Amino acid sequence: MVAVSPQLVKHNQAIKKEKNLSFDILSDPGNQVAAQYGIKYKMADELIKLYKQFGMKVDEHNGDDSWTLPMPSRLIIDRDGTIAYAEINPDYTVRPEPEDTLAALKELGA
Amino acid sequence: MGLKDKLNRMKEGYEAKAPKESLDILHRATEALKNSGIMERVVKVGDKGPDFTLKNTEEQDVNLHHLLEQAPVVLIFYRGKW
Repeated sequence: MVAVSPQLVKHNQAIKKEKNLSFDILSDPGNQVAAQYGIKYKMADELIKLYKQFGMKVDEHNGDDSWTLPMPSRLIIDRDGTIAYAEINPDYTVRPEPEDTLAALKELGA
Repeated sequence: MGLKDKLNRMKEGYEAKAPKESLDILHRATEALKNSGIMERVVKVGDKGPDFTLKNTEEQDVNLHHLLEQAPVVLIFYRGKW
């Protein structure tokens, strides 16, 4: 399992340490890989303004001023590189149940 | 309680306290993203997952195809923590 985030490496390091994560968090500068997966989007102007008001410095954390993010996504890539499972939601407050992902993994014999 | 229920409780707790103007902006942005057509362009089951090489927290290169030589990969895209 690997996680991918547009954040700079140092911010991924902080989360990995804080949450004591055993899996890698990879840094995706400018959401270039997210774009290849079709999940990169630019935040709405009024949303950027709101984030700035609340001191949420997406630009500083990501090391660019694109104000782009990936839609939260959970995928399973099979050994041959084919996407075997995809949970992608434009509503960032909704995340798939981990049990569903585990069941899909079992089907692949992983 | 599943993850979805936990997240819904957190959301309800947050939305009860947050100012209405802020919530309106958040909800409008989510609706606009849903209606932007982006979901028609995302990768689908059966597509090939584009290969990539990215740096981990040790500044080492991690390559998707290399990981796949060992086992299927659960790939999570995460926004970040600001």
